[in-house]
Amino acid sequence: MPLSADYIIRETTTNLWRNRLMTIAAVLTVAVSLALVGAALLLKQGAANAEVDWQRGIQVTVWMKPSASASEISAIRSELAQLPYVHGCTFWSQLRDYHEASKLLPPSEFSALTPSSTPSSIRCTPNQPQYATAIYDRFVHQPGVYGVGSPNSAIHAMEETITILQWVFVSVALVLLLSAGVLILNTIRMAIFARRREVSVMKLVGATNWFIRLPFMSEGLIQGLVGSAVAAAVVLGLHELLDSLANPNQPGSVLSQMRLTGWQLVGTDVVVVVIGVLIGSVGSAIAIRRFLDV
Amino acid sequence: MIRFENVTKVYKNGTVAVRNLSLDIQKGEFVFIVGPSGSGKTTCIRMLLREELPDRGRIWVAGREIIQLPKWRVPYLRRNVGCVFQDFRLLPNKTVFQNVAFALEVIGRPKSVVETQVPQVLELVGLAKKRDNLPGELSGGEQQRVAIARAFVNRPLILLADEPTGNLDPGTSQGIMRLLDRINRTGTTVVIATHDAALVDWMRRRVVELDQGMIVRDQARGVYGIDANTGPVPRTEVVARRSS
Repeated sequence: MPLSADYIIRETTTNLWRNRLMTIAAVLTVAVSLALVGAALLLKQGAANAEVDWQRGIQVTVWMKPSASASEISAIRSELAQLPYVHGCTFWSQLRDYHEASKLLPPSEFSALTPSSTPSSIRCTPNQPQYATAIYDRFVHQPGVYGVGSPNSAIHAMEETITILQWVFVSVALVLLLSAGVLILNTIRMAIFARRREVSVMKLVGATNWFIRLPFMSEGLIQGLVGSAVAAAVVLGLHELLDSLANPNQPGSVLSQMRLTGWQLVGTDVVVVVIGVLIGSVGSAIAIRRFLDV
Repeated sequence: MIRFENVTKVYKNGTVAVRNLSLDIQKGEFVFIVGPSGSGKTTCIRMLLREELPDRGRIWVAGREIIQLPKWRVPYLRRNVGCVFQDFRLLPNKTVFQNVAFALEVIGRPKSVVETQVPQVLELVGLAKKRDNLPGELSGGEQQRVAIARAFVNRPLILLADEPTGNLDPGTSQGIMRLLDRINRTGTTVVIATHDAALVDWMRRRVVELDQGMIVRDQARGVYGIDANTGPVPRTEVVARRSS
């Protein structure tokens, strides 16, 4: 049977308009929950991008005791130079470290430091970030070594924070998505109730089941679609905002490191829209199954 | 056109609505099904529309056995069977024209068909001038005419009517009967379930009387009660009269 597109569009529009308050509530809930899902996805991809950046520049510093003898220092230096997974090392004298400390430490702490009490250091870049731990384990107990520093733990702490944040986003979004689905289901249920006379006449004159169902199906679909389109716009806006906050003069800042590619952004929006359409379809399908007796 | 063969219908609460009923209605016939409330008239109509399934027996409508009909084919059965009810079942927010057009639109008929068929059928039922009125602005008789127009616009082979004059005064009811008679003359089989004795007596068409779900009388050119002059007519005689 040729389904009249004109009829379906007209009926769907009428339904949406009649139930406009419920429709707005459903669309907004879908939009808020999917915006959260989108934000979580942005965060996840941003963190992955930043991590690559962070680990690429990872540096391990072997701090020598200020009292370390020249032979101890040269032994450590030659051992480091022989390691196959160490890219290269630079020796920083006590004086050089003292000057660096003058820039990094607050004056109150720095005043307690003299060039002779400052440790010298050997700064190495491993081939792969995961060798930082191997260097730590190998040198931390060697004679003359004061300590081995690696930014790995800081990266881990940051990653953990981001993961927790992501899970919070996703859990809140899941609860909201569920309520969006229920709201859509309820909107369709009300539409079915409002049109029960029409449905009974349609059955009487021989309208096929799909012809009766389609306007209700498309109503749920449109609610999901509009909600997810709003969410996709919010995701784009959020990305633009963060992008504008990232200072281009400071390529090392976290926001710049988290910057997403165009494809990642498009992918996120596609996922958001697909979830919205799914929520709308599933909500209306359940309502039709349970409440539309054809 | 319609055939019931040993049909029995028992509702879940144990009420026997129809008991071992067999009935033949030929193409183009005009039949009254009469009997007191609860005699099984409405159940027969509902089974013909396949809104109810019998517990035993078989039913044919327009040459098709409808008990075995898959569920998805039921809408196509209903396109061949128009139906009119006591409460009209019009859509109050649609005009007369839109109410009738709705029946064609929802079975996917193109706009051109709607635009030619609907005025024709409104002319037939005498409501051409009220095409833009809402049902609330019409009298009961006029509303029933709209309902008949809607049931007939798709030119069904069979027109069923369940107490079509139940809400109407005698004068208006006669008008509705004349209209159904006109429709019958186009070749459509008309089956009316009613307990409006005056109308049945006035029309003098075939009468099938039900009592407690069984046929107690099947009379050609019958009246509502037992005809005082001729008495009940045996079924064999009915068939003989019809074929003559």
